[in-house]
Amino acid sequence: MKKVKLGLSLLLVMTMLFLAACGNNSNNAGSTNSGSSNSGEEASLEPMTLRLASGDANPQWDNMQSDIGQFIKEKTGITIEQEFPVGGSDADMFALMVASDEYPDLVMPKGNVNKLVDAGALIDLRPLLEEHAPNIMKVYGEYINRLVHSAEDDSIYVLPLDGVGQTYFDAGGGFQIQHQVLEELGYPEIKTVKDYENAIKTYLEKNPTTEDGQPRIGLSLNGGEWQILISVTNPAFYATGAPDDGEFYVNQDTYEVIMHYQRPEEREYFRWLNHMNDIGLLDKESFVQKYDQYKSKIASGRVLGIIDQDWDYAEAENALKAEGKFEQTYANFPVTLDESYQDASFMGTGYLASYGIGITVDAKDPVRIIKFLDYLASEEGQILVNWGIEGQHYTVEDGKRVIIPEVLDMKVNDNNTFKKQTGIGNYFMSARYGDGVLDSTGNYFTTNFPDQIVAQYSEADKKTLAAYGKTVYKDFWPADDAFKERAYGAGWTINFDTASDANVIFQKSQDIMKKYIPQAILADPADFDKVYDEFMAELDKINVAKMNAEYSELIKKRVEMWSK
Amino acid sequence: MKSQTSNQNSVAKISSTKRFFRTMVQQKYLYFMSLPFVIWIIVFSYVPIWGWLMAFQNYRPRNNILNQDWVGFKHFIELFSDERFYLVLRNTLAMSSMGLIVSFTVPVIFALLLNELRQQFFKRTIQTIAYLPHFVSWVVVSGIVTKMLSTDGGAVNELLMALHIIDQPIQFMAKGEWFWGIVTIADAWKETGWNTIIFLAAMSGIDPELYEASTVDGAGRFRKMWHITLPGIRTTFMVLFILSIGHLISIGFEKQFLLSNPLVNDYAEVLDLYALNYGINLSRYSYGTAIGIFNSVVSIILVFLANFIYKKVTKESVI
Amino acid sequence: MSTQKGLLNQRSFGDKSFDVFNILFMIVVGIVTLYPFLNVLAISFNDSVDTVRGGISIYPREFTLENYKTIFAYDTLLTGLQNTVIRTVLGTLIGVLTASMLAYTLSRVDFQARKWMSPLFATTMYFSGGLIPGYMLMRHLGLIGTFEVYLLPALLSVWNVFIVRSYIDGLPLALQESAKLDGANDFVIFWKVILPLCTPVLATIALFVAVGHWNAWFDTYLYNSRSPELTTLQYELMKVLQSTSSSTNYRDPNAQQAIASVSPESIKMAITIVVTVPILVVYPFLQKYFVKGMTLGAVKS
Repeated sequence: MKKVKLGLSLLLVMTMLFLAACGNNSNNAGSTNSGSSNSGEEASLEPMTLRLASGDANPQWDNMQSDIGQFIKEKTGITIEQEFPVGGSDADMFALMVASDEYPDLVMPKGNVNKLVDAGALIDLRPLLEEHAPNIMKVYGEYINRLVHSAEDDSIYVLPLDGVGQTYFDAGGGFQIQHQVLEELGYPEIKTVKDYENAIKTYLEKNPTTEDGQPRIGLSLNGGEWQILISVTNPAFYATGAPDDGEFYVNQDTYEVIMHYQRPEEREYFRWLNHMNDIGLLDKESFVQKYDQYKSKIASGRVLGIIDQDWDYAEAENALKAEGKFEQTYANFPVTLDESYQDASFMGTGYLASYGIGITVDAKDPVRIIKFLDYLASEEGQILVNWGIEGQHYTVEDGKRVIIPEVLDMKVNDNNTFKKQTGIGNYFMSARYGDGVLDSTGNYFTTNFPDQIVAQYSEADKKTLAAYGKTVYKDFWPADDAFKERAYGAGWTINFDTASDANVIFQKSQDIMKKYIPQAILADPADFDKVYDEFMAELDKINVAKMNAEYSELIKKRVEMWSK
Repeated sequence: MKSQTSNQNSVAKISSTKRFFRTMVQQKYLYFMSLPFVIWIIVFSYVPIWGWLMAFQNYRPRNNILNQDWVGFKHFIELFSDERFYLVLRNTLAMSSMGLIVSFTVPVIFALLLNELRQQFFKRTIQTIAYLPHFVSWVVVSGIVTKMLSTDGGAVNELLMALHIIDQPIQFMAKGEWFWGIVTIADAWKETGWNTIIFLAAMSGIDPELYEASTVDGAGRFRKMWHITLPGIRTTFMVLFILSIGHLISIGFEKQFLLSNPLVNDYAEVLDLYALNYGINLSRYSYGTAIGIFNSVVSIILVFLANFIYKKVTKESVI
Repeated sequence: MSTQKGLLNQRSFGDKSFDVFNILFMIVVGIVTLYPFLNVLAISFNDSVDTVRGGISIYPREFTLENYKTIFAYDTLLTGLQNTVIRTVLGTLIGVLTASMLAYTLSRVDFQARKWMSPLFATTMYFSGGLIPGYMLMRHLGLIGTFEVYLLPALLSVWNVFIVRSYIDGLPLALQESAKLDGANDFVIFWKVILPLCTPVLATIALFVAVGHWNAWFDTYLYNSRSPELTTLQYELMKVLQSTSSSTNYRDPNAQQAIASVSPESIKMAITIVVTVPILVVYPFLQKYFVKGMTLGAVKS
């Protein structure tokens, strides 16, 4: 009886599977028929499906259904099927891939490149590039030698996807302070932490609660989750004149390395945070609150100051804007410990050849693939993936490209739908230029340029900026050429070898940092040095010196490789 | 004489083998109903054990498992000499023991009380509502708990201050020593309703005649609970309890991770999170596997030990 | 007779006050456990921008159906729903049958193989070969990208086997013996005598198995992520719920954009409701099987 039932169930399952497979086949048959008929100069524009495993989740992926997606499909015959990490991390996804020894055609492995290279999963792109990809070679230009994997292995495994020649037109970081605070105090200078502190203190004394009686908060830090790095520890090096090199500080002359919190200057920065806590200006919940709570505090308009990156508090600020409370949104400044330091957020790196796209050994037609990527890197391709289709997403007025207003509106107010429908933002799969680079028609390749930025400012932003005589927030920062370019790019793009002990030491150092920094900040001022000394001692105990030395070697190697 | 004894021996031997096969044929249906599963479990649970070899190597995914760098017990030694390991082990055992005790007392009491409700509709409604939090993810529940315990208008602090028990809000989530308690209570809130289901099912298997008979004997409700209901679910309770002891070490890390923050991490990090951070996330498959083996060995020892004690006391065995 | 009845009807003050206390207690429990769910429900009906401001308790502040409209526009959800329903129904049938069958054989103290078979199964609850060997096994068995991969590895839950076994152990042995006397073989005893008596525990494990299948997504991720026609409901939910807890790449402009335009809380809650509500209705349906020993008494007589 049971066997009969089991048999029946299996039969049912088989039938369903069969039907599903049939359904699939008929779909495939459909797409073959709609294959492109214009052959162009290519031998075959037969439809081909490429599988791409991306290490970044993209909930707005449109399955080639968007305007751009369909255009690409028709023009090149290529359909892309993307896979994303779900629930787990990208590390899991690529680990399984290596273990099963089965690879899709294309991968965007982010930081997992070493795993794939170790497993022999990626092919050397150099011969393909030299023969079939003139556009890609043109985009990378002199930086082509930065694509090389290592000193020992000069193959090119991934094509970095960061824009080449990127110019930053605005600053998203620094220290944020509400417009209403600046207005009431007559737009004082906000250059040092003391200035920042005084502005907040003065305003808080005069206005301790909001209109509905809610207590205001001076400074709230997003320190309860992983963003502790962005809101609490990274500002320490920005405020003391060092650039972002991950958790390390690199001496630009000797390339000696220490962890950035081992610098005496940064101890003083944390001491200031300790002081802010002592005088009651720091949100006591800074290290306990969840991201949601942090955002809702900001959205309530009670928080006078935050130290964060714009993409981290964007959602909360949008809630304020939606209610029209623009004076409670934020202006940002490059605050430093004292006048002797300059914020090095924009210290040059040259082209940062970091995360990219690679072709695997299992790819069926690498030549066709590289030609496809080359198309995306061509001028026509880049304009397509950045701006869209002429007439549909932008128009050309007097030689100048302008985004159609309805499209721009959707981009600003409903970005998710915008991405899914137009496909803009979903097809950055090849080499491309960054912001600020002009194409052959004198227009920008990308849609981020000065006019756009100012157009997206609110009235409150413009008013504040005008009071200081600036056009964009970045104007507060030191000029781009105030610093020497880092010969090794940026520290955070350099990873230890997977088998190295340094990885374990690094993880331990992070655990220690997350324990001691909050403790130091919340401690009694008299105990601050004791806690911080303990912090330093713990780091020594796990032998960070060894890790630092290894990192220093990696940096030196990179400098050598990139200066060829 | 000698030949007679040897004859007797060989006769006895033949008998016992013959007996074995005879019983097997007698019990053939029992075999039909179980052997397929034996095969299934060997394939799906025992065969993958070859993965444990990784713990004794410096496993790199590219090569075949037999083609690796063998390092013996290096990873285990590293594990046992890491201070942090003992810290997370302590946290794990503390929280799981507290959880074990709570999840075997509260749901039983709750089931007993539910059984005392006479209005069926009310009883069924409460049952259904009580198990709802099980379906709400820990992400949501931890958000609610954090907000309720917050000093910035959190419900618990507001209540305590209104009742004048305290005059300053307490930062519950910042105190490491209270973390274990908070996790246990949050878990009880979320899972009690669900855990009650099995006990209710067991209670409904008790012969109603026993209750009727005791009523005639003049037993009150507490007597009934003590002498009929509780003994009636004893088997189920003990089986679940002993099997759960095996899970003391491997309790996952989601709820602890979501409820924790940098201030309480020394009390919140558990073994599974440690394994994730120092094993898979750093591509150290061997180290991660070593921790897995440690977990399994300890779990199995705990369960068999508990069962052994149970057997000694009650002559019954769970396994 | 009448005195007996009188005794039974007389309820002391203590009894009545206990009842009152019990009811009040249950009401409190009901409120406390209903709260998280109502909270999720409220947020799901709340405007997504307004949700960021926090402070929503059990009713929406700015009611909208927008979140649900957005979700139902995901056509992949429908495929996921179909697959999940099929898998749950089949999986539950299979899971209950297999667990009870094996539980019966292991409950027989006279079973020859019991001594080694029981620990063989029991220990498997506490170890695992790991993710990679598991994946490779599925590959060798040709289960990658199939529907069977949802059913075959989950065929049997040892935990459930032991739960059912403990229940069977509580049934009077006399029943089995009398059936044997009537000439029934072991299978018939299992099918006709034991199974019907186990309805409460079978209903319980049916619930466990059903919920397990309904909520499963990790196997879809591991084995079927390249087969969109085999997707499951929870997997689709997980895709949208992409949490940005990975701190390793926040400098990547793509990741930054993802964080800035993260799936609004309201949509996440709406999806939670859509995925949870169907399975919630299963329990009240199963509740009727938890009837106190009715079947036991019937069989006895």
